[in-house]
Amino acid sequence: MLEADRHENIEIMSYSEVVKVDGYIGNFRVQVKRKARFVNEGLCTGCGSCTEACPIYVPNYFDENLSARKCIDIAFAQAVPAISNIERNSCVECFACVDVCDTDAIDFSQQDEIVELEVGTIIVATGWDLYQGKDYGYGTYDNVITQIQLERILAPNGPTFGHLKRPSDRARPKRVLFINCVGSRDLKTNEHCSVVCCNLSVKNSKLIMSEYPDSEIVVSYIDMRCGGKMYEEYYRRARNAGIIFIKGLIGKIEEDSKTKNLKVQLEPVGTDSVVEMEFDMVVLSSASLPSQGTNQIASVMNIEKTSDGFLKEVHARLDPINTKVPGVYLAGSCQGQKSIDLAVSQAKGAASTAGIPMKHEEYTMELIRAKPIDERCAKCYKCIEACPYSAISVNEEGLIVVDLISCRGCGICAATCPSKAIELAHYKDIQYMAYIDELLPLEE
Amino acid sequence: MAGTIRAQYPTSLRTVLVPCTGRVGADLIMRAFGRGADGVLVVG
Repeated sequence: MLEADRHENIEIMSYSEVVKVDGYIGNFRVQVKRKARFVNEGLCTGCGSCTEACPIYVPNYFDENLSARKCIDIAFAQAVPAISNIERNSCVECFACVDVCDTDAIDFSQQDEIVELEVGTIIVATGWDLYQGKDYGYGTYDNVITQIQLERILAPNGPTFGHLKRPSDRARPKRVLFINCVGSRDLKTNEHCSVVCCNLSVKNSKLIMSEYPDSEIVVSYIDMRCGGKMYEEYYRRARNAGIIFIKGLIGKIEEDSKTKNLKVQLEPVGTDSVVEMEFDMVVLSSASLPSQGTNQIASVMNIEKTSDGFLKEVHARLDPINTKVPGVYLAGSCQGQKSIDLAVSQAKGAASTAGIPMKHEEYTMELIRAKPIDERCAKCYKCIEACPYSAISVNEEGLIVVDLISCRGCGICAATCPSKAIELAHYKDIQYMAYIDELLPLEE
Repeated sequence: MAGTIRAQYPTSLRTVLVPCTGRVGADLIMRAFGRGADGVLVVG
């Protein structure tokens, strides 16, 4: 990240969102909303004195709300760029940060700003968000946490400095249950498999076991899906380390109101019995969902989505990087949840793919394009509504104009137009009629 | 797809290539019926 930030050809716009995209490959015009962070990026040195002075604490989203942070703070220790941000909803405007800032970087008058960019190609890499359903007492029972919360607990820069402590009493949980497929592979919530959670359970249970060999760890699963290079071996090592993997669903979880331990009913597959066990902490492998802004980015960029809500590629197996919009490519979890190695592969693929037209300064397209016939047009503009690529617009005389680069030659406009005033080159009505007539000769 | 899986279909079937199923309007379908087709299958 730091290297990218220092590169002369790379400009990072953090705390921003893409609000509008016009144009086409080679000539995209993008509007980026730079949200007001109330700190001047050019002046802030990231020294952190404002954070020390601020009297207000807010939940720390980077620590999955397991700890507190100041109302003015740098997002996280390694954030690039390392610039403070004010959470205005919680700010009491005491201006203690303004007094203490040596470079006068804090500017409470800052407004959201729209920046226009001209770019040739676009790579979308908007990532994913975690399913936050109330399953298994999450949000109600203190010691039911998500895998991502456990990641923060196990992180050296996390809320407990890497020491395994459960939220209710900060004691070390000896008996830990992992539940896989929470909100995933379930027709009631999300049908898709979140791909990474099986390995995440294996990794985190192994980490706990190697730190505390007297732990009692159970992983309950529907299927262990540890496909991929060296992952099966990794899973076997976890089983050899004494972690118990049980295929079966969790029936019920109840919290002991005094000890805050969790009483769990587990139904192992093939045993016809219900096992009751008590755990100190329960970790949910919650589903990966498309990131919150996915709908917005899909609509401004005109990218389709698959039924699971992730952004759609041209072909799931043969063309997983291109979108149907030429010049727009996908990388990482925005296209579907994937492991780090696959995300890296796809990102490198997307960078190379974007580089080809940029280097050639040339883009080849097919000549199958829609063509308006002005004298027939009744100006009902049904074609404009029908076009999935927003390629049709109206000129000053009220006549329709087709953008030959945005048009993808699908012919929906030609099928929609009631007056036959728009036709598709090489696929005209007259050609089809002749074709059908020839295939189906009338009997004499 | 029908070809790659070696699917069998009746010899009375006639295929018309379209760039996209969106190109198939009611007029084309009606023309086929008008010319005596028993059915029209729009396959994408």
